[in-house]
Amino acid sequence: MDRSKLIKWLKEPMKMSNKYSLHVVYFCTGCGIIEIPPSITARWDAERFGVKPVATPRQANLFLITGYVSLKTLKPIIRTYEQMPEPKYTVSLGSCPIDGGMYWDSYNTINHLDKYIPVDGYIAGCMPRPEAIFAGVTHLWTMIDKGMADGYVKYRENYEQYRSNQEEIYADLGWPPLFGVSNQDEQ
Amino acid sequence: MVMKIVGIIFSPVIALIAGILMLGMTRKVMARIQWRYGPPLLQPVIDIIKLFYQKSPSHGVTFGAGVIISIAGAIVVFLFLPIGGLAPLSEGGGCLLIMYLMLVAPLGVALSGGEGANPYVSIGISRKLILGFAYEVTLILTFLAVMTQYGTISIVKVVEMQQTGRWSLFSWPLVIPGIAYLLILPAILGMRPFDVVSAPQEISSGPNAEYGGKYLGLMTLESGLSEFIGIALFVNLFLGGPNLWGAISSLQNSGLVVFLGVIVFLVKVFLVYFINILVQAVLPRVRVEQAVKYLWTWPAFIALVGLIIVWAG
Repeated sequence: MDRSKLIKWLKEPMKMSNKYSLHVVYFCTGCGIIEIPPSITARWDAERFGVKPVATPRQANLFLITGYVSLKTLKPIIRTYEQMPEPKYTVSLGSCPIDGGMYWDSYNTINHLDKYIPVDGYIAGCMPRPEAIFAGVTHLWTMIDKGMADGYVKYRENYEQYRSNQEEIYADLGWPPLFGVSNQDEQ
Repeated sequence: MVMKIVGIIFSPVIALIAGILMLGMTRKVMARIQWRYGPPLLQPVIDIIKLFYQKSPSHGVTFGAGVIISIAGAIVVFLFLPIGGLAPLSEGGGCLLIMYLMLVAPLGVALSGGEGANPYVSIGISRKLILGFAYEVTLILTFLAVMTQYGTISIVKVVEMQQTGRWSLFSWPLVIPGIAYLLILPAILGMRPFDVVSAPQEISSGPNAEYGGKYLGLMTLESGLSEFIGIALFVNLFLGGPNLWGAISSLQNSGLVVFLGVIVFLVKVFLVYFINILVQAVLPRVRVEQAVKYLWTWPAFIALVGLIIVWAG
């Protein structure tokens, strides 16, 4: 952890501050949310790394997808992701968002989350323990350092593809495209 | 003249630094009480740097202007509120002016929140104004008692008079309004049990729900400043400001007196704030009507009794 290295702070304040101030949006999608309370409270204490849960997507820059994503939850997930200010990072917990997991042939869950929103990192397991969440956060630090956590850039660049994938599931998403000519005021 | 310019430049800066440190101290002390290690003391600084690098979603000109008005209203207070020996423009105004200026910050948030059109923001602002109405009865009664006792509205004069005598909190009639002020201090600071305004679990952090990026950064600074204002008023009116039983004022060098005065003042502010963090750590949140009921009964009653005793004696 290079949080106290002043030279690095002066060189690249944006990366350093994004690393050590990850504010997580409260959003319960599945069973993985049960691992969040122990990791933010006294047992494992994520706040010592600057990870803090906040109440609204406007204040957050880390989105934890906690578990399987049903068709009904996907819409609020896309909405929440689009409301977060850039730079923003997504990390998914458990094996379900990777390829469907134990729900791979279910009629009402999606199998690949990264078809709909970009995902910067996966924490595998069913369910991952809080230690695995910390390992994931540490890995996210490395990715931010190397500039690899650029899911939000990819989302902007390939927005048409993401949008068409989203519209395959929902015929009417209910809001205009986030980027593009048809919408002048983005967000 | 030089002192005035130094004061105008430095007192908001000191207040900003102290306000940010107070926010960090809250998180650290709360963590230690809950047997956690807690974030570093400068975690709010890291957060604010991050927020200023973020892309900020806006809802129009008024949305940003309200935030600017709010933080400007909080900064302007420090030109009139003495911090130690630094009191740049304190010959005018005094208690009455500060009572008005303390209202600017919430009204700026209300202006900005109306533009955001978020229902949680509206609920949060209405709660903020209701809480303000509730504690300001006691606040005004307390101010009246202090002003009647010392026969002046100037805070600088009140501080000077405590230099020769005893601190107001430990002198007979003023101890009663002092206790009333201590009872409403958590409501002024917006800390538990009166954190109904920014309740993250109920109304998604209330007035801050729609802010992101640099707006949230400015609002974080503003919350630090308003916490500092609430305690600085208490320290000035009841704990003798920079006085340390006449130890500092007996020094000959006037620059040193001001410097040490600011240090002593900040130590007192942080001590009072620490007590409030302990209160915050052990008490749960009350509902709005419970808060109003409490604030309009016991603290207001004690302050009224204190005012009558001060006026009669």
